[in-house]
Amino acid sequence: MKNYLLTASLAAFIAATPAWSHYGMIIPSDPMISQEDGRSVGLTMSFSHPFELDGMMLDSPVAFSVTHEGSTTDLLSSLQDATVMEEQGYTLNYPLERPGTYIFSMEPQPYWEPAEDAFIIHYTKTYVTAYGDDEGWDTELGLKTEVVPLTKPFGLWEHNVFQGIIKLDGEPVPYAEVEVEFFNEGLAATAPDELMITQTVKADADGVFTYAPPAAGWWGFAALNTADYTITEEGSGEEKAVELGAVIWVHFEEWTGK
Amino acid sequence: MDRQVIRVLALASLVTTAPFGAAAHQLIVFASVDCEGVTVEAKFSNGRVVQKGEVRVFDGNNALQSTLELQSDGTANVPLDTVDHSGGLVIEVDTGGHDNYWIVTPEDIARKCGS
Repeated sequence: MKNYLLTASLAAFIAATPAWSHYGMIIPSDPMISQEDGRSVGLTMSFSHPFELDGMMLDSPVAFSVTHEGSTTDLLSSLQDATVMEEQGYTLNYPLERPGTYIFSMEPQPYWEPAEDAFIIHYTKTYVTAYGDDEGWDTELGLKTEVVPLTKPFGLWEHNVFQGIIKLDGEPVPYAEVEVEFFNEGLAATAPDELMITQTVKADADGVFTYAPPAAGWWGFAALNTADYTITEEGSGEEKAVELGAVIWVHFEEWTGK
Repeated sequence: MDRQVIRVLALASLVTTAPFGAAAHQLIVFASVDCEGVTVEAKFSNGRVVQKGEVRVFDGNNALQSTLELQSDGTANVPLDTVDHSGGLVIEVDTGGHDNYWIVTPEDIARKCGS
């Protein structure tokens, strides 16, 4: 009987624990910078549950870079400390010297998540186009894991579908699971059920997934896989699994027609 | 003259002198500046370089300063000492079927050559 009560209690605790997904985030001030917008883009980096605006500590990333016209520039030392969703995050104002697509990418430090008994590493990126030139929108960075866009990752209307190929070590991941979550700025959106906070789609046999958002705004796509290595957890000294996330943030624009 | 005024003038000029390009591919015009001059670049949104086109350079008061032809590599060079750039410049490229512009602001020039 005692065991039963303990189990029931544990089940209640687990049920009450939010099922929100973790997301690495790189959110630009604008995904499409025109010459009238100025000559730079602002970026905000964080680690959070984006629907609930629940921030988590983002330690100094392992890597942060921008890729443009085939050239990658290390920007790690340019990051500015910032408080994002009441937690440690970073900001950066990056000058856009030329037209084209700029891909900002971040590799965070492994995040120990006791609730999952695993480390989490989300390779996070977003695409920004400058001055009307979208060349490079389908660039693959060659990250450990990433979503390679099949749909141009900006200039999308709400309800448009977004498609991408999930890659791990450069290879498509058949039937990979992709979690989708809205950056709920202002907490304007509410979910009738917890299942509506993070939606899940699966890729097809070629690693291609498809999603159409119900509203304009920033949407995060996180393709999750388990790494083929482990990391030692300092507290216990045990080897723990590592969740690798390929995260891409895509902005959908509000439809202006009737 | 600030950037906003230049922009208004540029837009007014475009509205009155050129139809909006409605082709499937757009003309992309960009101009970078250093202390010597302005380098104009024009290409289509499909990546093709514009091989032929007219470049018109306006000052901040929308007065035509210079007209020149694009080179076959889609570029043109405008020496700064040949134009009045004190109020910024509007660089307009017209291929006959497409046109677009880039605004070189006084801040752009100051940032690049510290003047």
